[in-house]
Amino acid sequence: MLEIHWGLPVIIYLFLGGLGAGAGVVSASVFLRSHAGDASEGAFDIARWGALIAPIPVIAGTGALVFELGSFAVGDMFRWINLFLTINLSPMSLGSWFLALFIGVSLCYAYTFLKSDAHSGDKHQAFRKMLAWVMVPLGIGVALYTGILLGAMPARPFWNSPILAMLFLISALSTGVASILLVRCVAHALGHKKADEYTGEGAQGTEESKYILAATDMLLISFEVLVVFLFIMYAHLTIGGVENAIDVILGGSLTSLFWFGFVVIGLIIPILIEMKYVLPRLLRQEHYSIPHAVELAACMLVIVGGFMLRYVVVIAGQLTGPVGI
Amino acid sequence: MKDPATQVSRRGLMKNLIATDRPKRYAMVIDTRRCIGCQACTVACKSENDVPLGESRSWVETIEKGNFPDVGRSFLPRLCNQCEKPGCVSVCPTGATYTRKEDGVVAINKEICIGCKYCILACPYGVRYLDPKTGSVDKCDFCLHRIEKGVVPACVNTCQGAARIFGDINDPSSAAAKMLETNSVSVLRHEMGTEPMVFYIGADHSDERYAERTGVYVRVETHRRQQKRV
Ligand code: SF4
Ligand code: SF4
Ligand code: SF4
Repeated sequence: MLEIHWGLPVIIYLFLGGLGAGAGVVSASVFLRSHAGDASEGAFDIARWGALIAPIPVIAGTGALVFELGSFAVGDMFRWINLFLTINLSPMSLGSWFLALFIGVSLCYAYTFLKSDAHSGDKHQAFRKMLAWVMVPLGIGVALYTGILLGAMPARPFWNSPILAMLFLISALSTGVASILLVRCVAHALGHKKADEYTGEGAQGTEESKYILAATDMLLISFEVLVVFLFIMYAHLTIGGVENAIDVILGGSLTSLFWFGFVVIGLIIPILIEMKYVLPRLLRQEHYSIPHAVELAACMLVIVGGFMLRYVVVIAGQLTGPVGI
Repeated sequence: MKDPATQVSRRGLMKNLIATDRPKRYAMVIDTRRCIGCQACTVACKSENDVPLGESRSWVETIEKGNFPDVGRSFLPRLCNQCEKPGCVSVCPTGATYTRKEDGVVAINKEICIGCKYCILACPYGVRYLDPKTGSVDKCDFCLHRIEKGVVPACVNTCQGAARIFGDINDPSSAAAKMLETNSVSVLRHEMGTEPMVFYIGADHSDERYAERTGVYVRVETHRRQQKRV
């Protein structure tokens, strides 16, 4: 206890793994929801960007993980293979298998979208649709297990909460949405197919799908706020190790990072921004439009917040331990 | 030791169905009344098991309490508790950490361990460390290489006051079994539910929270790299 055994590589992995899995789930859901891209060109475009993003952060995060392995540090590059020579009920074992499957499937899924003229009628469509159905449960599995991994240890009262995995899942989906909006925004700015180049229905569809994503993100963040509230309230209402551990964010060394770095920057500001643009459309059916710069800023804040959440949680869990002897 | 007929929980039933009865169950009883805090066990363990600098498989904590002239001082030898429900085993993704079927000792297969450190975090007693030479995790294993040959662990062998009593508690005639039958014992952090197999007689469980609650001065010295008790 009180020593940091899992440092930056694990934090980066939990963050990137969640983000990639979230992007994959969102992409596949948007794709399936729009009748496999038939219903709207905009939805297909979102699914495409999500599919192209998904494997990259997950692979990068998994790559970072090996730097935390003791065996790697002594020059034994491939002892990690032992993970895949067995399977047991350890969250890390199940997670590794899920992760390997996700990386494989998401690469295939991304491949079906690779060509810049990919569209809903091309030759990959059937395969793409099949993969999308697999992407949803796999992605949720990967995002959930990052929380279960930490939650599985009674010896770590800060982590040992059933709602932590939920928090990580929601944060993964929300950072996934933000990464899609962000990359799409940047790609369009860099001269890819511009949103307003779509003709007639296409342009409408793009705005519509952007609205759906922003509204989804708003909903996700509000759930996240609720889950954070429950997490803290139940910890605070408990006695012993858990109550002691939660003190680290309620008046301990990580308090300002948690409240400012995660809650304000990652939740409150982005949700206020999204509400300003989403609510008029949601409540009064007004036209949805959001300036590029504001959209970019909101997405970046959500992503930074997602990182801060992983950072604070991973460190806090290790700074605190059981009380008494 | 356990009479299966008294186990009524469903989990107990499952356990009896799956696990074969252990022929042996090694345990240690530490009689803190006989410990003088000489750290001979700490040193014996380090040299016996070639424990890297800065790490320890076993150490002896000192607990000082009271205000002059009403003061007390006691010692708490620490090691892996060889738990019946070990947090470390259930999280190990490779199966490198396992409970030995024959005697219940929690051991590590260093060839398999990838050094993911999950078990270090999952142990509520902070007894595990990463060996910088092998890249694998290590901890007290009741000196398996010795007990398999019928010799007592190094720390037990060296203890001048016979404070550490080691034995197979499935054998009612063993010294350890007799100690358990005739003394009031406690285990560390029993609320963690790990069901330790290292038992203490007369252990002082006081810490800073006890000090706060009672106003009694308490100072705990761990005598290891981690200066705070883990
Ligand atoms: S004391 Fe820790 S390392 Fe030893 S068996 Fe129990 S949980 Fe595992
Ligand atoms: S560090 Fe080794 S023994 Fe510990 S959980 Fe990982 S693989 Fe298992
Ligand atoms: S039993 Fe062996 S490894 Fe364990 S504390 Fe004693 S000497 Fe060290």
